[in-house]
Amino acid sequence: MHGLFRWSSKWWPGVIPLVIFWAIAAWTSTEPLEIDLAQRSAAALKDTILDKRRISVAGRDVTLAADAFSEDGRQSAVASVAAVPGVRLVDDQTRLVPEAKPFVWSAERDVLRVTLSGSSPLPATRGRLMDAARANLGGVEVVDRMNLSRGAPPRFDNAVLLLLDLVGKLKDGKITLSDTKVSLSGMARDLGGREAIAAALKKLPEGFSVAANEVKAPPYIFQAYKDPVALTLTLTGNVPDSNVHAALVAAAGRKFFSEKVVDNLKASVGAPASFANAAVSALGALSRLSTGTLVVSDREVKLSGDALYEAAASEIRAGLGKDFPQGWQFKPEISVKPAAAPVDATVCQQLFAELLGKARIRFETGKANIVADSAGLLDRLIETALRCPTANIEISGHTDTDGDEAANQGLSEQRAQAVADYLVKAGLPANRFSAVGYGSTQPIAGNETDQGKAQNRRIDFVVK
Amino acid sequence: MAYLTTFYWGWLLASGLLGFAMGWISVVQHGNGVSRKLRWWLSALVAALVGVALARVVPGRFGYWLDLGLIMFALYLCFCAVGSWLRGWVVSRSAPPA
Repeated sequence: MHGLFRWSSKWWPGVIPLVIFWAIAAWTSTEPLEIDLAQRSAAALKDTILDKRRISVAGRDVTLAADAFSEDGRQSAVASVAAVPGVRLVDDQTRLVPEAKPFVWSAERDVLRVTLSGSSPLPATRGRLMDAARANLGGVEVVDRMNLSRGAPPRFDNAVLLLLDLVGKLKDGKITLSDTKVSLSGMARDLGGREAIAAALKKLPEGFSVAANEVKAPPYIFQAYKDPVALTLTLTGNVPDSNVHAALVAAAGRKFFSEKVVDNLKASVGAPASFANAAVSALGALSRLSTGTLVVSDREVKLSGDALYEAAASEIRAGLGKDFPQGWQFKPEISVKPAAAPVDATVCQQLFAELLGKARIRFETGKANIVADSAGLLDRLIETALRCPTANIEISGHTDTDGDEAANQGLSEQRAQAVADYLVKAGLPANRFSAVGYGSTQPIAGNETDQGKAQNRRIDFVVK
Repeated sequence: MAYLTTFYWGWLLASGLLGFAMGWISVVQHGNGVSRKLRWWLSALVAALVGVALARVVPGRFGYWLDLGLIMFALYLCFCAVGSWLRGWVVSRSAPPA
């Protein structure tokens, strides 16, 4: 033993190469060791749920920074890294994910995208919500602005998955979940979408409730376009049911005597009250225009186009509003079509015959009151009369043979006078017109059939 | 420790061989060794470094290098002892009886 002690005093020269070895070993092994420890630490945390995890290694000391979702999870993460073989110290820079109070999550939809924001409880939930949003919204860009927080209410996932389904039913708007209270605003994508959303909200998981549902229905649109070139009246948009649909198409057929009705209407729920009355009145005004567009949007009626003469324009602007039910708004944008070139009396007569060949001025049965459906025809007759200002015109009334001859004679006179009064009211000089009643003395068809009688009940314009 | 041994066993082996060789030579080497006083100072220094390493007060890479140096030094000393003892045994067997 004494020898060993004596010899040990001569061991020091070997320390010099040892130090060289040490330096080389330190130089070459440090980085591989650090990389290896980082990989092992990451592997040890594979099953631990953490957010913003960062692992850095200096020598054998591991710095672990991460956001944990529970105190247990945080401690177990640190312990897992400390248990990795080779790790000397763990610098614990973990923290708990902040608790959100109230726990607010929201989904906002605009024209281009859906943005998910607010808090989500776990990274897995966040991923699932993004996947569900993409699946529900097929093709719409989904932007993730969610952050992770603690404090989500129980069954949060189920509630939010249901709400994401509702985002698909919105055209635009926002759905917010604040703790267990749901608030919705915006506009439904389809007519009936608002009702579908309200029904779906009843299936919210237990404990969740609706604080505010301000989802609006999209406007109920009905449109009509009168094309003077193609001679068509195109109806598009919504009607409440097949009865109203048929009534509107029939009214259009009566009012637009020279246009073909193109029917592109579809039945949809959600029509405002008195929709049918308002639409029929508005179609009547459109029938008086040379060209025009009618847009009924909820309770707002917009009519734009050209009237045939100034008095008609004023009448449409002023009069139509009165025809609508209460609560409806009428916004006319009526201009006047430039006056057509004057023509001589012969051409005028031809034009009258042409117009009256297509349609007849119609009256209430047995009376001399002109029905509203004839307003379009009368405007065209007036426009024609304005083109031959020097011609005098006989307005002749005729009836069929039904009833007493004297009564028919009287009725034909009254009806001819009613038309003459209408023309004078429209601004034409009274001295140009003479109203004559012929009763049933000048039939143009047999009075044996209903069709023939209908042809005989007529008003003719004869240029003198 | 097992992890570190597997990680740089080559350097530990080299330290051991170096110690064995130094121990082997030191038995028959002439000349003065380290003085007793200096030896105590050096022992105290090593003990202090071991203490520091065990207390893990040196952070990061320096801490790792300290551990590495002390492990290599410990192996060196062990194998010096083994080498010297073996050489002492060989010399005593071959020496003529006094």
